[in-house]
Amino acid sequence: MSVQFYLFLLVNGLSLGMLLFIIASGLTLVFGVLRVINFAHGSLYMIGAFLAYSLSLLLTGGSLFSFFVMLLVVPPLIAVIGFILEYTLFRRIYRAEHLLQLLLTYALVLILDDLVRVIWGGDPRNVARPDFLAGSVNFFGMALPSYNVFILFVGPAIAIGLWLMLFRTRAGNLMRATVSYPDTLGALGVNVSWVMTSTFMLGCWLAGLGGVLMSSFANIDLGIGMEKIIECFAVVVIGGLGSVGGALLGSLIIGVGITWLPVLLASFGVQEASRWALVFPYAMMALVLIVRPWGLFGKPER
Amino acid sequence: MGNARNTEAPSGTAGWLVGAVVVVALFALPLILSQLGRTGEYWIWVTTEMLIMALFAMSLNLILGYGGMVSFGHAAFFGVGAYTVALLMKKAGAPLWLALALAPVTAAIAAAIIGWFCVRLIGLYFAILTLAFGQLLYMVVFQWYTFTGGDDGIHGIPKPEILTPIAYYFLCLVLFLICFLAMRMIVNSSFGLTIRTIRENMERAKFIGVNVRRFQWYNFILAGAFAGLAGGLLCELNRFAQTEFLHWSKSAEPILASLVGGMYSLVGPAIGSTVLIFLKIIVQQAHPSLVETWAIFLGLILLAVVLFAPGGLVGLYQRLTGKSET
Amino acid sequence: MADHVLQIEGLSKSFEGSQVFNNISFSVDKGELSSIIGPNGAGKTTLFNLMTGYHVPDSGRVLFMGKNIAGRQPYDIVRLGIARAFQRTNIFPRMSVLENLLSTVITKNGGNLNVVTPSAKLKSAHERSYEILESVGLADVAHRQSGTLAHGNQKRLDIAVALALEPQLLLLDEPTAGMSPEERWQTVELVQRLWEDLKITMLFIEHDMDIVFKISQKVRVLCYRTLLAEGTPAEISSNEQVIEAYLGEEV
Repeated sequence: MSVQFYLFLLVNGLSLGMLLFIIASGLTLVFGVLRVINFAHGSLYMIGAFLAYSLSLLLTGGSLFSFFVMLLVVPPLIAVIGFILEYTLFRRIYRAEHLLQLLLTYALVLILDDLVRVIWGGDPRNVARPDFLAGSVNFFGMALPSYNVFILFVGPAIAIGLWLMLFRTRAGNLMRATVSYPDTLGALGVNVSWVMTSTFMLGCWLAGLGGVLMSSFANIDLGIGMEKIIECFAVVVIGGLGSVGGALLGSLIIGVGITWLPVLLASFGVQEASRWALVFPYAMMALVLIVRPWGLFGKPER
Repeated sequence: MGNARNTEAPSGTAGWLVGAVVVVALFALPLILSQLGRTGEYWIWVTTEMLIMALFAMSLNLILGYGGMVSFGHAAFFGVGAYTVALLMKKAGAPLWLALALAPVTAAIAAAIIGWFCVRLIGLYFAILTLAFGQLLYMVVFQWYTFTGGDDGIHGIPKPEILTPIAYYFLCLVLFLICFLAMRMIVNSSFGLTIRTIRENMERAKFIGVNVRRFQWYNFILAGAFAGLAGGLLCELNRFAQTEFLHWSKSAEPILASLVGGMYSLVGPAIGSTVLIFLKIIVQQAHPSLVETWAIFLGLILLAVVLFAPGGLVGLYQRLTGKSET
Repeated sequence: MADHVLQIEGLSKSFEGSQVFNNISFSVDKGELSSIIGPNGAGKTTLFNLMTGYHVPDSGRVLFMGKNIAGRQPYDIVRLGIARAFQRTNIFPRMSVLENLLSTVITKNGGNLNVVTPSAKLKSAHERSYEILESVGLADVAHRQSGTLAHGNQKRLDIAVALALEPQLLLLDEPTAGMSPEERWQTVELVQRLWEDLKITMLFIEHDMDIVFKISQKVRVLCYRTLLAEGTPAEISSNEQVIEAYLGEEV
C-alpha cells in the first residue's frame, strides 16, 4: 500500500483524535478540579449530538448558517444542563467516597441515556455537513474529506484556547490553584464552589461541542455516549487524570491507533482485523495503568 | 453498647429466626408457585434468577463492602463462569455438575491473573483498571467468533432430562445457601477480619504486618470464584451465554444491588439485588410502555440512595431499629 | 554490635529535589528509652518513615539487629520487630476497640489466612487482646466502636495496637500530641510504665521539652538536615549549638 494511503489514514486518525480530545479534555478538566470522574460526560456529549440533529431539522440542514447556529447554541445549552446538574447534585458529593461519586454519575447515565431514547428514539441519525465542508480537499494528490481537515483545525484551536485560558487568565489560575489547594483558596476568600461550577460548565460545553462536531462526522445513535465515555477514559488514563496536555496526547494515540491498527493487522494477515482493533483502547488503558498508573503526563499521587 | 456488634452478619436469636423463616419460605415457595400454572412457572424462573443474581451481588461485596475495593470489572468473572459452562456443555459435552464445578475454577484463574495486576493500584485507579480488564475480556469474547460465537453468543446449552424448572430452582437454592454460609464463614473468620482492617485503614494494616496486596489478591480471587459460579448457574438457567454477561454495565448491577441493599452487611447486597429485580418486573407489568423507562427509574432510585441513604436498605433498617452501622 | 538494636548509617533522603536528611548516623542501644526532638519540618516523622519502610532512603543503611532493612516493605519490617504508633491517630475506626487489637494479634500470630474459625471464637487471641487493653487502660471500652473514642483514648489504642505486635523496638510519634496537659502526663506515665514492664527499646518523637527531659535517657536533636546533637538530657540542655538552633526561643 502506498505512502499516500497511510497519510490518508493518518489524517483521519488525527481528526478522530482531535474530536476525542475535545470531549476528553472536558472530562479531564472536571476531574482535575472537582476530583470526580463524570460517567455522565458521555451522555452529555450524546445529548449535544442529538440536539444538533434536532436543530438541523428545524433549520435548513447543510447550510453554513445552520452549522454555525448549532455550534453557537448547542454547547452553551449543554453547559446550562451541566450547571443544573452541578448545582443540584454534584455539589452534595464532593466530600463523599469515590464510589458514591461514581454511582451518582452512573445514575445520571442511566437517566440521561434513557431520556435520549424516549425523546429521539433508537434509530441512527446523521446531520448533513455544511456545503463548504461536504466535499474534499486535494492535498498532495490525496482527496481528504474537508470536514476532517476542518476538525484538524478546530482541535488545536481548542487546545490552544484551553491552554491560554488555564495559564494566562485569572480564571485559569484559580482553576489550577483549586486543584492543588482548595482549602487554602477558600480561606483566602475565593468562592471555590463557583470555580467548580464554572469548570463543570466548561467541561460540559466541551462535551456539547464534541457532540455537535460528531453529529456531522459519523452516524449518531444511542450507543455513542457509552462508547465515547470509555474511549475518553482510555484517553485520560493514558495522558494522566486531570492533565489537559495528556488528554491531547492520549486522544491522538487512540485516534491514530484506532484508524491504523486494522490496516496494520490486516497486512499481517489477521482475520477480522477491524474488529480486533477495537480492543486497542482497552489494551492501552490497561497497559498504561500497569506500567505508569499516573499516566504519561500526570504525577504520581502519594 | 449499641455499636458493639462484632460480626457483620445477622447475629443473635432474632437474626437466626428471620434466617430460618426465609429459608423455609424459599423451600416452600415452588410448592405454592407450582399450583399457579403459567404465572407460577414464570415466577419460579424469576426467583431462580433472583437467587443467582443475589449470589453475584454477594460475591462482589466480598471485595466491595468488606474489602473496600471498587471493581468495575466483576462481570468478567461472571462471564467467564457462564462461558465455561456453555463451552464445556455445548462443545465438550461435559455433564452439568462438572461444568458447574469448573465454572468457579476458571473464574478464579481469570481473577488471579487480572487481580494480580489490579491490586497494585488503589482507589480510583484500581476501579479503572478493573474496568479496562473487564472490557478487554468482553472485547475478546465479542471478537473471537470461532471460539465464543462472538456477539451471537452460545445458544442451546443442553439441559439434563431430570432438571425441571423446579429442580433447577432447588439446585440453585441449595448452592446459594452453601455459598452464603461459606461467605459468612469467610467474613467472620480471621481472614475476613484482616480484609476489613485493609478496608478501614490500608496504611495502618501494613503497619500491623499485613501484606495488603496479597490479601486483596486472595479476596479478589475468592470473589471471582463465587461470581463464576453465579455466571455458570445463570447460563444454564437461560441455556445461553452471551457477551452481555461480561459487559461493564453487568458489572454495575451488583454494585447497584450492594448500594441499594447496604454494603456493610452480608445479606444487604442479596436483598438489594432481589428488590431491584422485583421492582423492575413490577414496573414492567404496570404498563408495557414503562419497559423502556426502567433505566430512568433505576437511576432515580440510585440517586435517592446516594444522596439520602448511603447505607442502603440495611442501613435504613439499622437506623430505624436503633442499631448503628458497623 | 549486640547492644545496638538499631543503627542508622549515612542516611540521606530528598523529596522532589529538596533534601530532608544528609548523611545521618546514630545508633540506639538495646533497652533504651530515648527521644528525638527538632523544630517543625526537621524530618522527625520522615525518619520514622524511613525506618519502617514507608519511604525508601536515597542512600545509607538502616540496620535493625544487625540486618539492613532499608527499602523493605512495612509489613516485613513489622514482622522483624519494629512497631510504631502514629502522630495522627491511625486506627481502624469502624471496628470495635477489641477488633483493632484482635486483628493485630491474629496477624502477629500469622493466623490471618484462617478462613474457617470465626475470629470471635479465638480464645487465646481474645485473652491476649484484653491483656493489652488492660495494660493501657482501655479494657472497659473494648466493645466501643474505636472511631467514637475520645482523642486521647484513640492515641492509647494506637499504642496498644503497636504493643500487640510485641516489638523489640517501639517507635512512638508524638504520643501526647493534641492531648490536654492532664492526659499528657497520664500518657507519659503509661509510656514509662510500659517501658519498665516490657523491657523493650523505645524511641519517641516529642515536642514537649518537659516530657522529653523527664523520661528520656538519651535525646537526639534533628536540625538542618543532620543530627545536630546527641546526649543525655543534661548534656543536651546545656549544648550551645542546640540552644542556639532550637531551644533558644523556647527555653
